[in-house]
Amino acid sequence: MNMAKPKNLILSSTAFERVVHWVLAGSCLFLFLTGFGLMFHSLSFLADLFPGGYPIMKLLHNICGIVFGIAFLFALVAWGKDTLFFDEDDKKWFRVLGGYLWEVKEVPEAGKFNAGQKTFFMVLFLFWFVMVGTGIFMWFPIFSPAIIRWLYVFHALGVVVLGGFLVIHFYLGTYGNPGTFQVMGHGYVTKGWAKKHRAKWLRDVESGRRSI
Amino acid sequence: MEKVMLIDVSKCTACRGCQVACKQWNRLPGEKTQQQGTHQNPLDLTPFTWNLVRFTEIPTKDGGVRWLFRKDNCMHCTDPACQRACPVPGCIFTTAEGAVVIDKEKCIGCEYCVNVCPFEIPRYDKATNKVYKCTFCWDRISNGQIPACAKTCGPGAVTFGPKEKMIAQAHARAKALGGEAMVYGDKYVKGTHVIYVLPEKIRMYDKLAINPTIPISVYLWKDLLKPLSVLGIGAALVGTFFHYVIKGPKRPEEGGE
Repeated sequence: MNMAKPKNLILSSTAFERVVHWVLAGSCLFLFLTGFGLMFHSLSFLADLFPGGYPIMKLLHNICGIVFGIAFLFALVAWGKDTLFFDEDDKKWFRVLGGYLWEVKEVPEAGKFNAGQKTFFMVLFLFWFVMVGTGIFMWFPIFSPAIIRWLYVFHALGVVVLGGFLVIHFYLGTYGNPGTFQVMGHGYVTKGWAKKHRAKWLRDVESGRRSI
Repeated sequence: MEKVMLIDVSKCTACRGCQVACKQWNRLPGEKTQQQGTHQNPLDLTPFTWNLVRFTEIPTKDGGVRWLFRKDNCMHCTDPACQRACPVPGCIFTTAEGAVVIDKEKCIGCEYCVNVCPFEIPRYDKATNKVYKCTFCWDRISNGQIPACAKTCGPGAVTFGPKEKMIAQAHARAKALGGEAMVYGDKYVKGTHVIYVLPEKIRMYDKLAINPTIPISVYLWKDLLKPLSVLGIGAALVGTFFHYVIKGPKRPEEGGE
């Protein structure tokens, strides 16, 4: 047991998970900013932030893409086993959409992640593949123009999907769900939070069936 | 005023004076090539060959060969796909004369233009990490001169002048040639600033696009998904804001341990 554990708090994530999250979050944000700089002429001030301007911004976008691509592999190690499946409770969760949109009597209990979070991770998994797969060959266009020009379309589609997701993810992880931010902060949350958001996980941890 | 270069391939003798004049005016280096069994040399446009006379050999019934020549270079579209795709403001621009120019100082070598051009014209140079193509000699035409290739053309196959006049000339010439002869260019991508008079069907000429248009992928990318990305983020921001205001945050139960 962790002797430094604050009273009445429970550790909700490992340092590994938190670091992976912030590498993903940082690289994702950087990719969004530089990517928007490359998509919108009106955002040319973003290129001015880099010494050397556009060529350097493009190069850093490409390199950051590699960082993001590799960081997600670690994310798969960290969260794959808890996210890449749905159980019976998840199906019930979808029927009430977690109680987020209308009043429901009872929100089905979740494990470490609820069905919405799992969906988020699965979509991120899919678009990780799309963004890295298209990005690499936009950087090194070894195929014919007739193929490469469709990569631009799918890369932009990824921006549309991930852009909306990012905003919603930020909302649900911060002021939409008070107490949640520390899961990715120092890691400690109240037991009340854990009971509300991941009741099955809390039981498993308290009974020793899983460590975290 | 918009200008048009008229290439009347029926008058071309494949002397390749235009190729040389292009290299000379634009100070493009010569390139080592190898004999590949054709007079076409080099075999394709390169970052340093912006103007190429293409040779097509057509076997005739009596066992001989008929030549088709076509001077190939940027068509200078009125609606250039390359300019729509280019991520850097002002890097690809259109002049008052209709020249579509890549500012090589601004080019970042992303090759978007290479991959969307309906005529497959721009060429990427790895060493400089930039893309190059014909400039319509915009440094000459903006000073009242004609492009170097037109200036040097002996047989009068390459001429240059005001848009309407040249288009009228092209149609008159095609009519005079009769048969399959046609004008190529004035109807595509809102009109190209280089137009051909072709005595034969389009498909007879090496690498000549049959129905060139801006690829549908460019519209999906730049005119649909690009604005949608802002709309999507905006909608998510508005949506989460009103979720907070109307439904409110999800708080852990009071008194939870």
